[in-house]
Amino acid sequence: MKRRTVLSGAGVALLLPRMESLGQVSETHPPRRLLTIVNHLSFYQPELIPESDGAFGNAPSLLDALSDHFEHLKVFSGLANPAVQNGFGHTPCVGILSGYFNKLERRNRLSIDQAIADLIGGDTRFKSLVFQAGENLNFSQISWDRHGLPVKQIDSPRRIFNLLFQVDEKHATQKQVLAEDRSILDALFQQARSMKKRLNATDRAKLDEYLTSVREVEQTVKRREYWADRDRPQVDYELADFDRRSVDDYVATLLDLAVLALETDSTRAVTVQIPFWEGFRESELSGNYHDLSHHGQKPEKIKKLLMMEHAILTRICDALGTMKRRSAGHSSVFDQTTVLLTASMGSANAHNFDDLPALVFDGRMKKTGHWQKRDMPMSNLYLGLLQMFGAEQDRFGESTSALEVLA
Amino acid sequence: MMRLCWPLLLLSFLPPGNLRADSELQKFFRQNCIKCHGPEDPQGDVRLDGSVDILTASTELLETITSLIEAGEMPPEGSPQPSPETVTKITHLLQQQILAQRPANPLRRLTRVEYTNALHDLFGIEFDLFNLLPPDHVEHGFDRFGDAQLMSPHQLMAYLTTARFVSERLLPDARPNTQTWEFDVRHFHGSRNFATGGGGDYRDGDEYVLTGFRPYRSNLHLSIDPERHDQFVIPAFGVYRLEVKARATSSREDEVIGINLGDGRHPTSFRSIRRIPMPHGADGFTTQLTLRAGDQPGFTFDSARVPGRSLAKKPHKGPDLRFSSVRLTGPLAEEWPAPAMRAILPQPNMPPGELVDHLAMLLTQRPLSVEDRARFVKIGRQQQTRGASQVAVARSLLTALLSSPHFLFKAESPELTDVERAYRLSWFLWNSVPDAALLTAAESGELRQNPMAQVERMLSDAKAGRFVDDFTRQWLQLEKVDNFGPDVRVFKDVRRMTVDSMKREARELFRHLLENGLSMEHFIDSNFVMANDRLARFYGLPSVAGDGFVPVTLPETSERGGLVAQAGFLKLTSTDFATSPIHRGSWILRNLYNEKIDPPADVLIKEPDIRGTTTVREAILKHQELKSCARCHSKIDPLGFALEYYDPVGRKRDQYRHVEEVPADDEATTFTKKIKFTRAPIHAAMKLPGGRQVYDMLSLKAALMEDKERILKGIIGKLVSYAHGREVTRADRGHVDAIFESVAKENFSLRAAIHAIVAHPAFGRK
Repeated sequence: MKRRTVLSGAGVALLLPRMESLGQVSETHPPRRLLTIVNHLSFYQPELIPESDGAFGNAPSLLDALSDHFEHLKVFSGLANPAVQNGFGHTPCVGILSGYFNKLERRNRLSIDQAIADLIGGDTRFKSLVFQAGENLNFSQISWDRHGLPVKQIDSPRRIFNLLFQVDEKHATQKQVLAEDRSILDALFQQARSMKKRLNATDRAKLDEYLTSVREVEQTVKRREYWADRDRPQVDYELADFDRRSVDDYVATLLDLAVLALETDSTRAVTVQIPFWEGFRESELSGNYHDLSHHGQKPEKIKKLLMMEHAILTRICDALGTMKRRSAGHSSVFDQTTVLLTASMGSANAHNFDDLPALVFDGRMKKTGHWQKRDMPMSNLYLGLLQMFGAEQDRFGESTSALEVLA
Repeated sequence: MMRLCWPLLLLSFLPPGNLRADSELQKFFRQNCIKCHGPEDPQGDVRLDGSVDILTASTELLETITSLIEAGEMPPEGSPQPSPETVTKITHLLQQQILAQRPANPLRRLTRVEYTNALHDLFGIEFDLFNLLPPDHVEHGFDRFGDAQLMSPHQLMAYLTTARFVSERLLPDARPNTQTWEFDVRHFHGSRNFATGGGGDYRDGDEYVLTGFRPYRSNLHLSIDPERHDQFVIPAFGVYRLEVKARATSSREDEVIGINLGDGRHPTSFRSIRRIPMPHGADGFTTQLTLRAGDQPGFTFDSARVPGRSLAKKPHKGPDLRFSSVRLTGPLAEEWPAPAMRAILPQPNMPPGELVDHLAMLLTQRPLSVEDRARFVKIGRQQQTRGASQVAVARSLLTALLSSPHFLFKAESPELTDVERAYRLSWFLWNSVPDAALLTAAESGELRQNPMAQVERMLSDAKAGRFVDDFTRQWLQLEKVDNFGPDVRVFKDVRRMTVDSMKREARELFRHLLENGLSMEHFIDSNFVMANDRLARFYGLPSVAGDGFVPVTLPETSERGGLVAQAGFLKLTSTDFATSPIHRGSWILRNLYNEKIDPPADVLIKEPDIRGTTTVREAILKHQELKSCARCHSKIDPLGFALEYYDPVGRKRDQYRHVEEVPADDEATTFTKKIKFTRAPIHAAMKLPGGRQVYDMLSLKAALMEDKERILKGIIGKLVSYAHGREVTRADRGHVDAIFESVAKENFSLRAAIHAIVAHPAFGRK
């Protein structure tokens, strides 16, 4: 396969000089980055989580797939999302990164990837990028902006690639369009505001959503105007044909693109959601993934399930390896990046939204190993991450304290 | 000023204080409920020992409590029961409370479907905007409820992009250059050219032959250069005429050709956009399509009897489809300026002010306020100063207005004005903006005083088909019918077009009842079904000619008739190989009874350990052992189990046939995995909560018929929800009852129900 050979080959060469000012990776203070990966159907935890706390001794089979990176890994288990309501099929999975789900509300709360993107995303072409390696299901949205509204999750590798690296041929028209957009947005804002005055309280809230959206889109347009004047980076990476039913093509390709996005400093926060659901094309993986995730403790189903989960983890392990080999400025992409790997459910067999696993990879990790928690809010980890990225707040969602990530 | 208004506002939200009623409710709860729902370890996390204000803070909880008390489900069996009079009195009090608490109907915006239809009706052009606008949130089954409709930066950006796309396509700078391309067998390419191997298609002399159907791939695509296999790409947006010469051989019925877009080699980009029925003996077809630059049209044999498979192992015997030529002409510009351009720019050189007024009225029939108008005029002036042409100015203004709240939100006064009433009616029955005749009727007051004539006119218009489509699709979740393709290894006689027909059946039944003023009881049970050639054969009924649906009277022995006996419903509630009694039961409760059933929020579903169970029945009945699950599952399970004599594609069966995939051999791919069958007997009989036994299709339908009043009210509730764009709850009971009473006098006619909904005073209020 083209994709694999290119990546394991000489590496991704930046053919253009780096953009000055905004796009520049400082050599003395390399930026911090975040890569968040969520596997929708979770992992079979008995094979992921070590039996005891502390250093990784005899790692169970799934965890072992990540053994290349044990020296930078902390595994937390038994985390909970107490503000995620149980019992509505897969729908509560939308709350994994925000720690919140209420079935009576369509809105969610700010998710951790976006909270951190808000902190570190101002200097790049994209504040954040959210990828989705799988079908757009009703409950596959996991990334929420600070208004609790869904952030676009892009599921086409081709679109992501074009977004990141394609030369914009209609540059002049594009600038004109952006200028026009700004004057249109201005008129829309004024119109919504005067319309709002004529409405009752409930409807005013509807118009407020519209007004906030206009303000955000204005910011986006301004950013685009800035970046429209600057060339996109070019990379020596060929996007091969891919198949949505293939772990190798789909998950690995999206992870490749995630690494490339970080490496070219197109963004500093990438989220990859893996809502795989059906069967896979790979011949060694048989059965329907969702069906197998409801294994009912039957050994033969668990065996097949583990093969699928193993396949996904192997791709993640490879991506981390690539990050270590690639550099941005003077340090490796891995050194600049904190990687959070978690799952939307504790167990897809039971549809429970507590007992969650969270794996954190960081080049600066002092102590490594496994920490078993009991009913500790996931948001404690999120708060710890936020503070690590320089936030001054002392609460995130349902947090009760901040979990120390590196020490 | 704002500050002063606040206390008043808050007051208006409080329910009317009624001390006597409050204390009566408290007394009732104290006597009957707090033993389990008290401060200590309250069941289901529900406490009923507080003051009534706290109790009634959640409308949802209030509705649940009311329903449970009314149905006699609470207090539970075995506890002391309140007298029937007390129950009536208390439910009445609670009902009043619910009505008082009902929130105002929130502001709604156009759904994706409404937006698309509105542009079609305003400008006479069919855009496929489904790739541009995000899907609407579905809440309680429908996408048109104001409280579920979010606005986000992503949504707004999509509106802006879509508006720009539409404006640029409607108002091009120059007349498009119409071209014609001719393709014959030399330019036809099938699956054999690619690494995927032969998909059952081949060249035979001057014809290209398709024998099988591959849902994710095109079997025939076109190239310009006979030597190369590069796919032909549409150069520019516009309407194209497609003339195809093709014929079917070894076939005695109508066949179906699929038109698709996307690179036929790559399943991920592949999209079916239209199905063309080819009547028996036809030698081709002509149609028009709106295509975009970059589209790659191709063809599939959708009514093929077999999947697209290599002919090397097994030669093909059944019907095939033979293509000899394709001619494509476009973008068509027969009239210039195009009608849409004339509608947007009726005169040359309109000053920006006039143009803004004209567009605002064209889009919404409402003028902009003076200050808003000035803002849009400014955009036009700015463009003029930059030296933009008249057409470019119009493009900017159209883009702005199509993205504005003025167009996107459905502004409604507390008491609808005549024009607003026309809009509501039009969103209901046409899924789009009103036409001139409806607006005239509204402005003359005729619509308000006697809507009957307009409703009749609108229902007879072809645009009413959109209501039938959109409503049945959402009410009955018809999209799910083909969520799972029937596995050809298991369901050998169920083909793509059979499934397609299953999906259409419910819609056709609705249409037939609506057009002929027939009773809604036919949704429950009926002595006829709507069927076309394929469905009639699938059901084993007297044969029907053609792809169109006609009523077919059922023989005495048939169990079909009614929604629950439709293969579409039986299939959409099943997975690949297995039926799901829970899905079927809850579908009936949700969609026919209009009941809300969600697991309670505090239930922690225990790891289902099903190792000890041997049948689906045993596994599912485990739910009923848990008290928290039993309340709903005692209702759901019997309804679902009664249908166990119908398999995942809706065929009659007398035993289970469990399907297991056998691990593939080394060289085998996913598609050739072997399967193993195990047979097991069916036990369908179970008792409904009232004690009625249901054990098969007929006894189930008899039980549903006994509940006729509840079910018809449930269906009316769905129609009212759709018409008003909000969920119908217990608070609307009076409203629904009134419509039921008036429809009862008309033999429960579906058409009469539509009339009654429009004539009801609530239709004229926000």
